[in-house]
Amino acid sequence: MSALPRILLVDDEEGIRKVLGLSLADRGFKVHTAENAEKALALFRELKPPIVLTDIKMPGMDGLELLRTIKAEIRSSGDHDAEVILITGHGDIGLAIQGIKLDATDFVTKPISDDALDIALARAKERLDMRRAIREHTQGLERLVEQKTRELLAAERLAAVGQTVAGLSHAIKNLASGLEGSIFLLGKGLELDRRTYLEQGWEMLKANVEKIKNLSLEMLRFAKPEDLKPAPCDPALPAREVTELLQLKAKAAGVELSLAAPENMAPVVLDAEVLHRCLMNLVGNALDACQAAGFGPETPGGRARLTVEPQPGGGVRYSVSDNGCGLTEEAKSRLFTAFFSTKGEGGSGLGLMTTKKIVEAHGGSIAVASANGTGTTFSIVIPGRGELSR
Amino acid sequence: MKAGAGHDTGHTPGRGRVLVVDDEMHLRLYIAAVFETAGYETAMARDGDEGFRKASEWKPDLVSLDLMMPNQGGIRLFQRLKADEELKRAGVLVVSAIGGEAFRHSLSLVRTGSGGLLPDVDGYVEKPPAPEALLREAARILEARGAQAEGTLAQDVDAGL
Repeated sequence: MSALPRILLVDDEEGIRKVLGLSLADRGFKVHTAENAEKALALFRELKPPIVLTDIKMPGMDGLELLRTIKAEIRSSGDHDAEVILITGHGDIGLAIQGIKLDATDFVTKPISDDALDIALARAKERLDMRRAIREHTQGLERLVEQKTRELLAAERLAAVGQTVAGLSHAIKNLASGLEGSIFLLGKGLELDRRTYLEQGWEMLKANVEKIKNLSLEMLRFAKPEDLKPAPCDPALPAREVTELLQLKAKAAGVELSLAAPENMAPVVLDAEVLHRCLMNLVGNALDACQAAGFGPETPGGRARLTVEPQPGGGVRYSVSDNGCGLTEEAKSRLFTAFFSTKGEGGSGLGLMTTKKIVEAHGGSIAVASANGTGTTFSIVIPGRGELSR
Repeated sequence: MKAGAGHDTGHTPGRGRVLVVDDEMHLRLYIAAVFETAGYETAMARDGDEGFRKASEWKPDLVSLDLMMPNQGGIRLFQRLKADEELKRAGVLVVSAIGGEAFRHSLSLVRTGSGGLLPDVDGYVEKPPAPEALLREAARILEARGAQAEGTLAQDVDAGL
């Protein structure tokens, strides 16, 4: 407390205001007085005194009501703290106890003895100091937690960058191997006039150029912050498009691709175009998983199913299930990290990571359930209420 | 054709048998073509399991081995080859994208685990493999193996089968 702590003295009797005012000034307080609770409240709000000393019985708003109002304002303000000491007449013990229940510091009985006043003031100061200390400690803790969290995030981001660079380097090494191989085969094919080498080298060259194109496209897409253009739309629409688009590819892979979506779904606010990309990614993965499990045009029996369901609260859930090769525990844990792929030469390791990013930009979540050898289900939930995180 | 010495071009048309084990089709074709055009006989396998089967049937002089493969990885295949009385005579050339240091480290871990019974690999080429590096390492390994089997002549006769 500063050199001259303020105190607000409230009593309807002028005599008491005068005598008690002098006594308080003598104890080193800067004393403000009010003759009723309404005026006191106005002064309290203006001067923010840490201690209020008020009579209980006053015409108009009484001391208890003033106490209740002050305590309520303190709770909601957060930066203004105050203690309220009650002054009671002889035999007002019932009111005094009510006051203590309302979190008054103490009560002093008229006629006010110096000792009783000192004790009450000391208690008020003690309670104020204690609360300030707790407040400071809590704020210190919050600051500490915030700082540690920031440090942790920075470290995590650095680790992610390191992992990404390592993954990228591996991807480039594989591409370089492919190109080196093409050059060698084409060279030998020309030198020895061997058509097999020429054909192999040519195919290899085309395949690797395609891989480079895809990798750079996906990296670009990943690096670009997803600029969503959300609008209310039928959530089944992107699912229908994707099912139709991939029908041919599914047939070629010996997979029966089906869609389960209710008609006339309530509109959901989402970016249908980027969500279309997510579903293409998930259904494409499902077809690849079926192929890896051995299904093909000669060996049909693969199944991939895209399901659209409304969610409570106006959102939507998309699930993509397949009876393909499934995922190992290890693969599941690394699924959403950059450059991790279960597809060997076929995957860039960026598809699912980008999908996750898009879903999260919608304020949604993505989950996977799978057991090695028994298929996989991915589900995306986009929340309702049209609230987007960005 | 020259009788190859390890220090010249490395093109030793020893007509030895090279088994190329790699899960990536392009690399398999490429590495096999490198050995084929240098005069070796080649066969290919897609993973550790298939690699072991082919090696048992075909008895290669050299196995060109990728490390990270589905079904049985390269290190496991290497262990199995070296544990086999007959197949352990084949040289093993590791061709991998894993850096040489990381590879030696993991191999030394496996070797410690095996109680020191596992020998070191015979050669190592990092991906992307240059044709010259593959041939140089292969020639060096086969020459050392040949010398072990008492003289290059004996090796030529063997390999000529």
